[in-house]
Amino acid sequence: MKKILFCGAVFGFFIASAQEKTNQISVFGGLESNSTWYMNDPGLNVVHPDPAIRSNNYLFVNTKYKGWTAGIQVESYEDEALLNYNPKYIDTNVATYYLQYKNETVDVTAGYFYEQFGSGLLLRSWEDRQLGVNNALRGGRIIFTPWKWLAIKGLYGQQRTGFDAADSDIYGTDIEFGLSDIFQFKTTELSIGGSYVGRDQKVLTIPNPNYRDRTDAYAARINFAHHGFYASGEYDYKSDDAIVEKQDQVKNNFIKPGQALLVNLGYSKKNFGIDGTFRRLENMSFYSEREAAKNSFNDRIMNYLPGLTKQQHYNLANIYVYQAQPGVAMPDYTVLKAGEIGGQIDVFYNFKKGSTLGGKHGTKIALNYSEWHALSGDYYLPLKNYDVDYLAFGKKYFSEYNVEIDKRWTDRWQTIFAYIKQYNNLKLVQETVDVVNADIVAGEATYKFGRSKSIRIVGEHIWADADKKNWAAGTFEFNVNPKLSFYTNDMWNYGNDDPDARNHYYNFGTAFRYKSIRAALNYGRQRGGLVCVGGVCRFVPESSGLSLSVNAAF
Amino acid sequence: MLFVGFSAMAQKELPNLNLNTLEGKSLSLKNDFTEKDKIYIFSFWATWCTPCIQELDELNDLQTEWKKSVNFEIVAIATDDSRTQKRVKPLINGKGWEFNVLLDTNQDFKRALSIVNIPYTIVVKNQQIVHIQNGYVPGSEKELLEKLKSL
Repeated sequence: MKKILFCGAVFGFFIASAQEKTNQISVFGGLESNSTWYMNDPGLNVVHPDPAIRSNNYLFVNTKYKGWTAGIQVESYEDEALLNYNPKYIDTNVATYYLQYKNETVDVTAGYFYEQFGSGLLLRSWEDRQLGVNNALRGGRIIFTPWKWLAIKGLYGQQRTGFDAADSDIYGTDIEFGLSDIFQFKTTELSIGGSYVGRDQKVLTIPNPNYRDRTDAYAARINFAHHGFYASGEYDYKSDDAIVEKQDQVKNNFIKPGQALLVNLGYSKKNFGIDGTFRRLENMSFYSEREAAKNSFNDRIMNYLPGLTKQQHYNLANIYVYQAQPGVAMPDYTVLKAGEIGGQIDVFYNFKKGSTLGGKHGTKIALNYSEWHALSGDYYLPLKNYDVDYLAFGKKYFSEYNVEIDKRWTDRWQTIFAYIKQYNNLKLVQETVDVVNADIVAGEATYKFGRSKSIRIVGEHIWADADKKNWAAGTFEFNVNPKLSFYTNDMWNYGNDDPDARNHYYNFGTAFRYKSIRAALNYGRQRGGLVCVGGVCRFVPESSGLSLSVNAAF
Repeated sequence: MLFVGFSAMAQKELPNLNLNTLEGKSLSLKNDFTEKDKIYIFSFWATWCTPCIQELDELNDLQTEWKKSVNFEIVAIATDDSRTQKRVKPLINGKGWEFNVLLDTNQDFKRALSIVNIPYTIVVKNQQIVHIQNGYVPGSEKELLEKLKSL
């Protein structure tokens, strides 16, 4: 109720102050609604959940007057949230609200806000509705930019969890110097920055804790670019804190600090680009409440530790996706983890139009290689402890080769071919049983005809030597015009060792677009497994049903 | 009817935000895209979004031709977060695209316009959002050009 009164007062203020010059006030926002009617599906052995009709809805309304902006987001999960969303998302309520003042030098926000320091290894608050992540901070933030070369941020808040706030206080400050502005470099970009993040959570459950309420974390970063060459680096340190190997199990006799190192180097010129990233994470799980570590909803997560691999868009390349391994887990002698070390390299090349390989319309290739390992070192069991080396690779978690060739043949025909080779040690990464080697081939063709009609056909196959083994998949998409599309696809797990699990996961649907509105209707089966967005994943169970999604901005 | 109501009152102004270019220069959406009667096409994309890349490939090929009849500039807004942001620069060059690129790393611009899916394109003239295109299919660019000519 307090929230509603606050928001009402803010909107009242805006409307009252805008009455004199009505043309200066603006109202804007957006609406998103995702609903599913879950059905029984004897073919998949799936019984629909109760309630069967579920819907996630978001209404975001803002109003702006001169330098002032205020906004409110109402979320509605009726009768309950879609399957496998955090059960804390329930009913209809005010989710976030804010009041912001901004001019050339000062930006002040009260209420809920989103923020990221550096690359987010210590602090990132963001919203991803598909994943059910909204870890906005509720409190206040000031960004002060007195000169072009200096930006200082200060913030305090409590983190959003469901419709509530986590039971801890978050403090943060970040400073960035634009050295190239100070020294007036003409062709060189150079900046340095540093951050502090504190999480203060009273220890209530352990009588004599061996760790402090407050965990302090620091970061330093540098960013450099000169002509086509660029480089950046960030180092992070997190002070001693209790290790949490499993959700809700805070250990009072296993206390360790954490650290992270991220280095990126790249070079590019017209028609060519290469980029390499190295990252080492050691005990970098960081949550606004210690107990929340490793929860399956990404709830109360403080930092952003995505799997640094190619983000795949083919269905079958998304079965064995790598999830970053920032945390400590030592359940037995076969699984010993204190973090991860590894990297990836990307190469992009454009064979120009008119060249031998480019042909009349050009050919584009993209290569990616990534490899991730556990940290090598001494691990002690049953008395838990570890002593890891800094730059030594332990057991392999994951590796992946990608080749993608994009070729346009005529004004109407375009094809993409992709080959992907994956190794995923699920036993270590997901703490299950298998080690999977997989080869994936995908090809797609787009044909344009008429005024603005097009057809897109995709074929995919995966050969996997373990787990669910081989699959074949196909997609057919018909775009009637820019407003209307129809599609159907099927993924068939024909190679499963269990004859009863050789299922088809088919979908049929249509999408409609008009200006800012998009509406989509889908009927079909959802494959169980990880759904990943931006390198962060959420587990979804198998289901079957009819879905409607609508979004619009206003 | 609900939809008609929404689109009729669609947001008209760009948010007051600063975004970095690939070279690390900070540009203001409010103050740096203000040439009178020039059309700015802000196209929201990401390195992992295949239809976005198709659209930008298409626009890159067509822009020289289109510029003969319309005064416009394309600004590609990379919504990549820190996972894939480092891939933006080599990809742009690797594709040979000739666009200005702005980095929307924590998706402040995308959120301010309530964008749910990308690709998503807004057309701005005299600091007013005059057209929105939610999504892309091959052929959408023809409709976009006609819209530009009518502005």
